Amino acid sequence: MAGSRQPAAAGAAPPSRGRPPPGRRLAAWLSQERVFRLIPFIAVEAVFILVIIIPFILTIYISLLRWRANRPFEQANFSGFLNYGRVLGKDEFWMALGRTFYFAGAAVILELLIGFVLAYLLHRHFRGRRLYITIFLAPMMVVPVVVGYNFSMIYVDSGPLNEILAPFLEPFGIDPRIRWLSHPLAAQWAIILADVWQWTSLTFLIFLSGFAALPQQLVDAARVLGASPSQIFWRVHLPLLKPAIIIAVVIRSMEALKMFDPVVLLTFGGPGISTQTIAYYLWQEVWVFNKYSYGAAASILLLIFFAVFIFLGIWLLVRQRESVRRVDV
Amino acid sequence: MRPGGRSRLRRYRQAWVRHAILLAWTFFIVFPLYWMLSTSFKDAGEWVSWPPHWYPHEFTIHNYRQIFTFSALGEELSRDATEQAFSIWKALGDSLLICSVASFLALVLGVFLAYAISRFAVGGSKFRHIILTIRMVPPIVIAIPILMYYAIMIPFTTELLFGARITLFDTYFGLGALYVATTLPFVIWMMLSFIDEVPFTLEHAARMMGAGRMYTLRRVVLPLVASGLVVTYLFVFILNWSEFLLALTLTHPEVTTLPVLLNKFQSASEGRLYGPQAAIGTVITIPVVVLGVLIQKHLIKGFSFGMIRR
Repeated sequence: MAGSRQPAAAGAAPPSRGRPPPGRRLAAWLSQERVFRLIPFIAVEAVFILVIIIPFILTIYISLLRWRANRPFEQANFSGFLNYGRVLGKDEFWMALGRTFYFAGAAVILELLIGFVLAYLLHRHFRGRRLYITIFLAPMMVVPVVVGYNFSMIYVDSGPLNEILAPFLEPFGIDPRIRWLSHPLAAQWAIILADVWQWTSLTFLIFLSGFAALPQQLVDAARVLGASPSQIFWRVHLPLLKPAIIIAVVIRSMEALKMFDPVVLLTFGGPGISTQTIAYYLWQEVWVFNKYSYGAAASILLLIFFAVFIFLGIWLLVRQRESVRRVDV
Repeated sequence: MRPGGRSRLRRYRQAWVRHAILLAWTFFIVFPLYWMLSTSFKDAGEWVSWPPHWYPHEFTIHNYRQIFTFSALGEELSRDATEQAFSIWKALGDSLLICSVASFLALVLGVFLAYAISRFAVGGSKFRHIILTIRMVPPIVIAIPILMYYAIMIPFTTELLFGARITLFDTYFGLGALYVATTLPFVIWMMLSFIDEVPFTLEHAARMMGAGRMYTLRRVVLPLVASGLVVTYLFVFILNWSEFLLALTLTHPEVTTLPVLLNKFQSASEGRLYGPQAAIGTVITIPVVVLGVLIQKHLIKGFSFGMIRR
């Protein structure tokens, strides 16, 4: 912070000739090109190091201890890689990880398909388009906790979903007051549906800006040359939208793998452990069962797993951006 | 039939199908929000009645009075023992304070860095992507180290250095600092897409006439990206406002943000309090949705990630 304030003093009064007072000389030194460009960089890196990097180093240290909340930190014994072995040997850890990918995969595929269809339907101007866009973008702004709460109200056994289904169920003698969140599979899809409700708005937004960026001349040229609408879609629209698709896939997958809020609000990981995502599982281990060293080892392992995906995602984004730049030139 | 007539017929049918799909999705989007709004005006007996009431039969603002009450409760309000926990004021204040200050600091830091990246390619040509990695790390992976850092290492270090145990766990500063760090990548990304579009020649001209670096930035660049600054600030504010995991794990019981308060009633042992929850949900949703609608046009641009080039 201090770093970015000092040059502000320099900017207010450009350095005059003659002998400047020491304060101004410092400011002049700071506003030099080679110094100035580094100040924000250093400030931001300092924030990252203080808030993110140091805690991670500490976590690596704690993960090598054998320590739970029942004794002081200073008396913990050193235990080597015992915690890592315990994490890797736990079935719950692997199942939670697999479930996270299952939720994220199902949710992201649905969001991409629906978001794309909606953006395609709305990419040309017609009456009411702005209103639709406004409504479709609204879920992105709704606080995720509120989304979880809303859907828990809808799935409740005497809620509106069962009321809608009642005319179809009652003739068969089924009690329409189904407890959706008590059945493992239904609870899993209930969470996926809540995620789709909220985040289709984001894929929709990305595709919409992708359609807005389409060079209209190319589409017109294809039409003049006699391409049919389906040809225009598959041969012109889709290839040009590749950057948007990549961005949507990367961003949504990354966010979906973090899934936590709907799990807490809707099911608390239940019934049994059938809706525990990895984030929920770790939260429970550390904040409910107070297994600090175990949680530290698990979070380091998780970071290593995720690093593969993160770098894959970043690589895809970089490649996409460079291809855009090449087209420009 | 003339060919023109047939194509017009087809266009009508297309428009009809399009509106049918769009209206179906509109219903799916609007219904949960409507249900929350209507529950928030329902009396206790109607929250989970069967068959459910599509609209409040006995319209009441009791739920809102409960959450906005200060502390002294009238007899009609003290229906059960958890009344004290309802008051939303503390959480509202905490949320507003942390989110507005953290978003502002992130914006200030991020704008300068975005400018440096855009103009001088500070940190190398790949740096703008590398900075996104921080955003992609799952928050639970950050929360565990931060818990140990705030609750163990900082008290331990301060005791060694100053002789007093200072903890950052459950403090405004602790949560705010984390919000600054986790939203910085977004600030930098969004501001980059705005600053990249400011022509360099303008700055060059200002520099030629003897303006300082900082003067150029403040008088030439920042006014040109003013709308970008506002949009980015609001967007980051919304991100912090809806953040749940970090607030849940790193604060208890002193600092309470609104999502944490809403979650408190979810597992309440005396039965869930659907009405007040719906009222809280409505209260924390409406401002951000309004903000979102206001910045909607710019969001489309901010989220283009360099796809839109002019």
